[in-house]
This record gives sequence, structure tokens and C-alpha cells, in this order.
Amino acid sequence: MEKKPDWLKVRYNQDAVNEVAELMRDLKLNTVCKEANCPNLGECYRKHTSTFMILGSVCTRNCRFCNVTTGHPLPPDPEEPMHVARAAKKLGLRHVVLTCSTRDDLPDGGAGQFAACVRAIRENCPGTTVETLISDMKGDHAALDTVIAAHPEVLNHNVETVQELQQAVRPQARYERSLGVLRYCKEQDPSLLTKTGFMVGLGETEEQISRLMDDILATGCDILTIGQYLQPSPRHYPLARYATPEDFARWKELALAKGFRHVASAPLARSSYKAWEVLEDTHDLY
Amino acid sequence: MEKNIHMPKLRPEMKSGVLCAWLKEEGETVSAGEPLFEIETDKVVNQIEATQSGVLKKQLVEEGDTVAVDEAVAVLEAE
Repeated sequence: MEKKPDWLKVRYNQDAVNEVAELMRDLKLNTVCKEANCPNLGECYRKHTSTFMILGSVCTRNCRFCNVTTGHPLPPDPEEPMHVARAAKKLGLRHVVLTCSTRDDLPDGGAGQFAACVRAIRENCPGTTVETLISDMKGDHAALDTVIAAHPEVLNHNVETVQELQQAVRPQARYERSLGVLRYCKEQDPSLLTKTGFMVGLGETEEQISRLMDDILATGCDILTIGQYLQPSPRHYPLARYATPEDFARWKELALAKGFRHVASAPLARSSYKAWEVLEDTHDLY
Repeated sequence: MEKNIHMPKLRPEMKSGVLCAWLKEEGETVSAGEPLFEIETDKVVNQIEATQSGVLKKQLVEEGDTVAVDEAVAVLEAE
């Protein structure tokens, strides 16, 4: 294993983690924090924040960067929306981030469950904002319409990497399709804040990164997250390099200069990391 | 009261971990929440915090040792 740079150190407190983990287990909920083996789990759980992973912990796709298990998932749990709302209330979340395993097996890609979760949070946690971090739902407009109609404050969909590495890194997804999801959602409801993210350290070039930012911005996207790719295991897509904090600062500057409204760019920045602070920063937009 | 500190399970499939650095010496006082030792995993280096205050009485493993999950790595004389 290559030696980790100093900026990839995180704190972990077993008691704090257990508290949130037990709540999730009691309510039969999954978090992407756990399933993706997120390096920020210790910090976020300690702050009583987490990102719910709805629609089960088994994914129908096999992206080579991702730690989530591939297989045949179970049907959606009809009690899940209420359980999510209950957990959000118990944790006192001001901002709830919902993501999912990609469900190519469901006719609506899981859009109905997203909408039901947003509604349950609206009913049970007044004043709480919601961010839906969705799969591409095969680019299906009817599915996306279902999510848009639930009107989350933020609609997030990750492009994950530069165009040139899409096939190698996420073989069942398409670059144009992901951009299309962001574009379509913004067009249908311009009041939605749209958000996306990509990883660095997979072997992309500066030029490819710059072009990726241009393509994302052209969809009307408001918020961008950039983080270091961390290889979950030796079986996953090989790490090309660790970018430095200075690299991330430079990309942030570049993205802001191009016109993004908010950019979170840091080695351990993740799609939903400190999502509430991002929303606060852009609150004039919604 | 003496209390064993164990190798935490940082993710569901974790069976063991390499304790790559001690951040407290034997005999040093530790406050709850202070980092005590480091474990390197595939993604990052995790600084494991003490969950109780006390004095680090004994380090049971050396830096670089592979330790099974739940095995004792240190003895803390808890406050």
C-alpha cells in the first residue's frame, strides 16, 4: 500500500459511531457512509449527520470505484420513507441527504421511493431541507419527473469522472446521460438547485478536468464537489495519484471563475459532506 | 479501574487492522476524545480516539503489528 499523505488522516470515535449505527440498525436503514466505507463516517456520525441510502444496500451496477455491493436487490421497503423521517427527526437533521443504490431492476428506477421519502420528511420534519442524490435512472424523463415533482431543495447527480474515463470507471453509465439528467432537471424546474461531483486521482489530465467543468456548467448546474478518489480495495479501479490540497484549491478557483455558484473542493470532500453548509452558502438561490 | 482498549471494527468486512502508530506513550494521561493510536485502512489513516479518560498504562502491541478486531491493544487506567 502506498504511504498515505498527511492530509488523509481522519478521527474515529467508536462510541459516537455506535450511537448512530444502532439507530440505523433499529430502523432497518442503510447509510452510504457505511456502505461506501466513507472516510468521513467518524466525523459525520459524531456530529449526528449521515446520508441515507434508500432502496437497499445492494446495487444493480458494478462501478469500479465504488464499494457498494453489486447483486440482486430486494423490492423497496414500503416502511422506509417513514423510517427515514423518524431517523432524521431523532438525529435533529436540518438538512437530509438521500441517496440510493442504482436500481435498474425497478421500472421507475426508484423514483417513487425518493418522492415518498421527501414527502415523509416534509410531513414529519417541518423546516428540514432535502437533497436527493439520485442515480441516472437510465435518463428516463418520467422517473426524473417524479423526483422533480417532490421538489427537493437540491437535486444532486454525480458525473463521477472525466469523459475519457467514464467507460473504464462506470461501465453501465454514460457521460452524456449524466449530463442530460442535470440539464433536464434544471430545465423542468429552474428553482431546483442542481449539484454534481467528480473524483480526481483516477488518471485524468488538467485539460480533461477543465473540459468536464465546462460540460457540467453548460447544464446549468449550480454546485460542484471535487474530492480525492480513494481505492476501496485492491480489487477496485487503481489509484493513479493523490492530488495535493493545493491542487484542490486551484480547481476550486478555476470552477468558481468558470461560473459555478458554490464549489466544495478538498481531498476528503464528498458529495454530501457538509451538504448543509453548502446549502446555507447558496440559500439566496432557493 | 483497568480497562482494555480494543482494535475497533472500522467497516463490516474488517477482520484485522495494522496499528501503524501510537500517539500516546505509556504513562501518559489521555482525555476522552483524544487520539490514541492510528490504524491504516485501504482509504485513509484513522486516528482512534480514547472513549474514556485515564492513564495509558500499557501498550500491548507494537507499531506495525496486525491486530484482530476486538483484540486488546492497550490497558487504560480509567479515571
